[in-house]
Amino acid sequence: MKITKVFPFIILFLNIVGLLAVYSTDPLRGESAFTLTFFGRQLMWCLLSWLIFLVFSRIDYHWFIKLEWILYLIIILSLVAVLFFGSGDDIGARRWLFFRSVQPSEFSKVGFAIFLAAFLSVQPEDYGSWQLLLKTSLLSIIPTGLIFLEPDLGSALVIIVLWFSALFFCGFPWKKILTVFAGLVGLIPFFWLFLHDYQKKRLLSFFAPQSDPLGTGYNVLQSKITIGAGGFWGKGWLSGTQSQLRFLPAHHTDFIFASWCEQLGFIGGIIILVLFLWLIWTIFRVGLGAPDLEGKILTTLFGSILIFQVLINIGMNMGVMPVTGIPLPFISYGGSSLFVNMLAMGIVWNIGKSGGNEEWE
Amino acid sequence: MWNEKPKIIINHRIELFTWILLGIFVFLFFNLWYLSVLQSGFYQEKSERNRIRVIPLQAPRGIITDRYGQVLAQDIPRFVAILLPGSADPEKSRQTLEKIIKRKIKEPLRNRYSGEIVLASQMSIEEVAKVEEAKKELPGVMIEAYPKRIYPPGENVAHIVGYVGKINTEEMKEFGPTNYNNEDVIGKSGIELNYEELLRGQKGYRKIEVDALGRIVRILDTSSPRFRHTLTLTLDLELQKYCNELLAGKNGVILVGDPTNGELLAMANQPSFDPNLLVDGVSQEEWNELISNPQKPLTTRSLQALYPPGSIFKLIVGLAAQEANIAPQERTIFCPGYYEYNNSKYPCWRKSGHGRLTFENALAQSCNITFYTLGLELGPNKIVDMAKRLGFGEDTGIDLPGENHGFLPTSRWKRQKFAEPWYPGDTINLSIGQGYLLVTPFEIFQSIIAIANRGIVYLPHFLKEVQNEKGERIEGILPKVKNRIELRPDTWEILIKGMTKVITEGTGRACHDLPLPVAGKTGTAQNPHGIDHSWFAGFFPIDKPKYAFVVFVENGGDGSGEAAHRSRDLIQWIYDHRENSFNENN
Repeated sequence: MKITKVFPFIILFLNIVGLLAVYSTDPLRGESAFTLTFFGRQLMWCLLSWLIFLVFSRIDYHWFIKLEWILYLIIILSLVAVLFFGSGDDIGARRWLFFRSVQPSEFSKVGFAIFLAAFLSVQPEDYGSWQLLLKTSLLSIIPTGLIFLEPDLGSALVIIVLWFSALFFCGFPWKKILTVFAGLVGLIPFFWLFLHDYQKKRLLSFFAPQSDPLGTGYNVLQSKITIGAGGFWGKGWLSGTQSQLRFLPAHHTDFIFASWCEQLGFIGGIIILVLFLWLIWTIFRVGLGAPDLEGKILTTLFGSILIFQVLINIGMNMGVMPVTGIPLPFISYGGSSLFVNMLAMGIVWNIGKSGGNEEWE
Repeated sequence: MWNEKPKIIINHRIELFTWILLGIFVFLFFNLWYLSVLQSGFYQEKSERNRIRVIPLQAPRGIITDRYGQVLAQDIPRFVAILLPGSADPEKSRQTLEKIIKRKIKEPLRNRYSGEIVLASQMSIEEVAKVEEAKKELPGVMIEAYPKRIYPPGENVAHIVGYVGKINTEEMKEFGPTNYNNEDVIGKSGIELNYEELLRGQKGYRKIEVDALGRIVRILDTSSPRFRHTLTLTLDLELQKYCNELLAGKNGVILVGDPTNGELLAMANQPSFDPNLLVDGVSQEEWNELISNPQKPLTTRSLQALYPPGSIFKLIVGLAAQEANIAPQERTIFCPGYYEYNNSKYPCWRKSGHGRLTFENALAQSCNITFYTLGLELGPNKIVDMAKRLGFGEDTGIDLPGENHGFLPTSRWKRQKFAEPWYPGDTINLSIGQGYLLVTPFEIFQSIIAIANRGIVYLPHFLKEVQNEKGERIEGILPKVKNRIELRPDTWEILIKGMTKVITEGTGRACHDLPLPVAGKTGTAQNPHGIDHSWFAGFFPIDKPKYAFVVFVENGGDGSGEAAHRSRDLIQWIYDHRENSFNENN
């Protein structure tokens, strides 16, 4: 069977798992009208996101590539707009535009990936050069900084990851990549000054979660307890005490993986991991088969975003990654993240369908 | 395609990245397996502890009443606010709580057994209502009721009922951590301590499932606390209060009891203290003040303080003389006002002398010369033997903790202590209850009972009966003979005749106008530290004794004065208020 035929089914499976997970952790389940419950809204967004997925899979991706600088401009402008006109959320971060309907930082992930693919695909002769590295670094640092100021540490990291992935896949030598990485690590103390207290706490608690069991470390500790308590087979559907009794915070968003594992155990966790592995594997297969540079770069960048988010989120659920507020793609409750991921997957599917000269299994 | 090289580079990197991808997933697989398979048991237990809390429910202590059902000690509900661990910052919760109940909480934050933090205790029901209204602002805060001990008669019964307090580390060691938690109260003195086992309720518990905010999701299991017993004491609270009034302003002791069964009706000790102040624990300063008070209010004088008995002790010397038959009715002894022995002069209290006295009259007049003579004839051993037979220097068996014993000097003791032989002068002093001799008021009381009952002494006790939680009597304390002193019947009768004469024509004339005949004996104990102590002890009615009493006033001067006048009032009060008790047939 062709990969392009299988591709939407993997996404469908992930969507179904996501809906089940949101249903099982819905704080309002049975307590309000269906359309107001988290599950109800997620179902609606899921259907909408399929519309987006199907529409974007039919638009030739070259059309987006042509937008290049316009896209970049839109990203920068919307991010600046957020800083001035954005509405805040409960922890004091300004992330929303248009009455809390659009999160520019989410869309800038996809937008910046497209821009990078477009920008890099026209100058293959410069791959590996310091000159190109410097250019891309400047282009990346602006949106990263703007998102960082909101602040949205997770999304800012995604932009940096996109830049690194671009360097990696465009064949920059290891030495240069590592030099840049070392430079960034050296800048961490500088960034530390811009971090909010809650972010500093989160990062610190990652290194010593036991030190503050009532504060940030509490989340991580409870998350580990939640996964561990599930055991091999889980406590059963809807029977997880950790999430049902709300010991686990954000159990329908950031910590949805742990809630899922509490109910369905090791087996349930494996299902999610296998689905993600399958999906990302497929995306890179599409990249291998893409007909042109922009297609290849774009798929690998989308794949990179996905693997980064999965690694950080599931790692955070298991207490081996810091708490950064990155949701689990397709599974965590939330419309923006779902739309953006489905949009990206639509583009990947389109690239896959246009790559005719590779062999398909 | 115009240039294949970049594509090849990218494809190469993608293939390379596939391995990195696999590596990342192997890492995630391993971690998942570690958490949910290897460490599962550990986390399952943690998760259980997260949601199930066992809340011990404090049991109220048993009620203590006097013989007529007046409450001496009982529990009233008070409330404590606790914070479940992990639900909020204790300091902040404390501040919010202070805002809600509008008062500063002075006690320090402390941990309880199960790890909960006590935010405030001793909250009133009004404050609890305010907290319940503002429940949302106080996540993880739970209100629990706990019983607080109060003593309505306060100072009046402090030395009998005692008081409770939080268990301390030594008591914890003694009673064991399985029976008590570190927040439990325990009897510290008096009846509260002696009958701790009976008074202590059976603790209950509530197993609850809570959510992360400490809100109760459901109750899994409950076992109600039970208080088990109500203790009725033999104490007569009205009489006790009257005895305290009689002592007002003085330090002293009044003991009243029933010689026919060992029941104790009153045991007034002055000065006293308010046990209500000690229940919640006093500050170190207040405690220091209490124990360093020179008046020693915490001391139960009747059982713990040692005094010279003075002439009261002539009763014991008299018993020994009668038993040895050295003072038959026809024998008289001349009192010139002093006694000469080995060129020393020992005075009688009446300097002009009593003239010729029979034994009975000598007792009535409390003539020292007669008792010097009899004492020297008996020798110290016979006197001490008689005192021992009457229970001096031994446990009285009373159901209160901490009693002391009097001190009976012997020649052996004197040699060891002072490296001196026992002189006849020591015997002379002993004969009138002075010298090295020391007694507790309760020991005098016991010997009065022995005389009143002609040798039969019942175990003295305050506990009358025990009722279960339904109010059914489950145990009544029956009179138990503690001591049977076999003396010649005449010995008792002559003593009692003498004691009767004490009232009618002797040193106890203060009591002669009472409506019923009383037998008694005065005592004036010389006190090296100041004014003499004043004793008066006796029993009534003479033919069928129903009441025995001891009145002791520190620095009260002459026994025929302070103590005798108080005794007179005491007997009059009993006659007026407890008339029925004389008609009881038992």
